[in-house]
Amino acid sequence: MMGLQEEEFQMPNFKQLLEEKDSEIMRLKTLLTKYVPKSELDQMSNSHPSTKIAASTATLESPENLCSQLSKEDVARYSRQLILPDFGVGGQQKLKKASVLIVGAGGLGCPAAIYLAAAGVGTIGVVDYDSVELSNLHRQILHKEHGVGTPKSLSIILAVSSLNSSVKCVSHHVLLKSNNAEEVISQYDIIIDATDNVASRYLLNDACVLLKKPLISGSALRFEGQLTVYNFDGGPCYRCIHPSPPPPETVTNCSDGGVLGVVPGTIGCLQALEAIKIAAGLGSSFSGKLLLFDGKEGSFRKITLRSKQKTCSLCGDNPVISKLIDYEQFCGASPTDKTETLHLLDDCSRLTCQEYKQLKEDSSPHLLIDVRPPEEVAICRLPNSVNVPFSKVEDPIEVEKIRNYIQKLDNKNKQVFFICRRGNNSQRAVQLLEPKLADLNVILRDIRGGIQAWAEEVDTAFPIY
Amino acid sequence: MSSSFRTLMSSGVKVKLLFFAKARELVGVTETGLVVPNGLYTQKKLLSIIVETFPVLCSIQGNFIVALNEECMDQSQSIELKEGDQLAVIPPLSGG
Ligand SMILES: [Zn+2]
Repeated sequence: MMGLQEEEFQMPNFKQLLEEKDSEIMRLKTLLTKYVPKSELDQMSNSHPSTKIAASTATLESPENLCSQLSKEDVARYSRQLILPDFGVGGQQKLKKASVLIVGAGGLGCPAAIYLAAAGVGTIGVVDYDSVELSNLHRQILHKEHGVGTPKSLSIILAVSSLNSSVKCVSHHVLLKSNNAEEVISQYDIIIDATDNVASRYLLNDACVLLKKPLISGSALRFEGQLTVYNFDGGPCYRCIHPSPPPPETVTNCSDGGVLGVVPGTIGCLQALEAIKIAAGLGSSFSGKLLLFDGKEGSFRKITLRSKQKTCSLCGDNPVISKLIDYEQFCGASPTDKTETLHLLDDCSRLTCQEYKQLKEDSSPHLLIDVRPPEEVAICRLPNSVNVPFSKVEDPIEVEKIRNYIQKLDNKNKQVFFICRRGNNSQRAVQLLEPKLADLNVILRDIRGGIQAWAEEVDTAFPIY
Repeated sequence: MSSSFRTLMSSGVKVKLLFFAKARELVGVTETGLVVPNGLYTQKKLLSIIVETFPVLCSIQGNFIVALNEECMDQSQSIELKEGDQLAVIPPLSGG
């Protein structure tokens, strides 16, 4: 065998031993092909890694060809996984030929990409349209401080190529939508859903069913993570389990809910593991299963999902979806994890940050109610504000507290302002409290754009989170 | 908890309810005990009991799965709940 001959000076005994074993394997293989039907032979080669090589040599002209497919460098680099039973040379060669697309270069995509590169996946594609922000770095571990402002897919390519230059890494700096998803996805064998929003999850699911690709779906928020492999090995698709998207106002993103970086990190690593197993022909542990990871509790639960549904609108017996649809419309939300800006109040019930600044400078008596959660108030707050978290704004105790504050104000000029992080909950708070405080003859208004607008428009030294 | 359940608490089966993702956020706890009347339950009936007991889950009704002892039920299946059974309320997470 060529690869081994190069090391002959080091291990002549091994060479002789291998040659003996090789001829033994060839002899057994010949016997097997004579007496055992081919289908059974394939099955044996799957369950017994030791016979896998023998069976695969049957399709090659000579045993020399087998070793020549892994270079000496590859053998050294991947040695620890080459000697792994169930993986071996066959698994490595399959990895090298495999192509995996990672959609989302964030908290899930970063660890997934780097482990796939380390393991020697031949081609890794990365889809992301965002640029690196400072608030990404606690979890999106392939981006660097000096890369803030540059495309995320680019920093992944840099990290991947510096770890393993033999991996072909392709950047797709696009926002994946109905009109371009199939073109990108069709170039790959396995798809990893490392996105951060509902619309992209349905888009990827539908595209993967239509193009017959396995979809390794991961997600994370706060201390929790989830993982399922869809559309693989006769298992269900995302729509079999979740036929309709949740109402957009019930979806919490990482920006609003928070996330501890290691949590998506854990799920992203497991996504890489499933991709490697599928690529190497080992199957997946999460087809029709849902992994629930709770980082705070330190628990992993494996839930058995419903099987593939005959009534599924996509992969069922009578599918109604035969091409990609408008996912923004279907989900009522855009394919990003950005918080949408609401316009709930009339202009006369709203104040800009500049107007509020002027009012403060004029020492105009007023009450400022900050409706953010206490965790966020602890990060930064405006002076002389009182905190009533939005979740408690209708609580009779809190309403009474607000009434007391208002009654202490100057009688002639009862002004009450609400502020929150971005200016959505402050409007909601005005709407909820107006009827409850109507008897006090006060004007309730919100401060447009919240604390974030204050930091951008009035006090640039004020922190943004 | 609605009064119809409170009256049956003494004669029912005590199960453990586990909340995940948005359900955890809405209900405000990770797990709780729940006493349900003896009898056969379909997936649909379990769902309505859970939402009736925790009306705050109304906003995501139809958007979470319920697993009994880590296994999701088929729609047609009827099961009898046993003391100590675990019912998990699992909405999908979409962040990353
Ligand atoms: Zn389906």
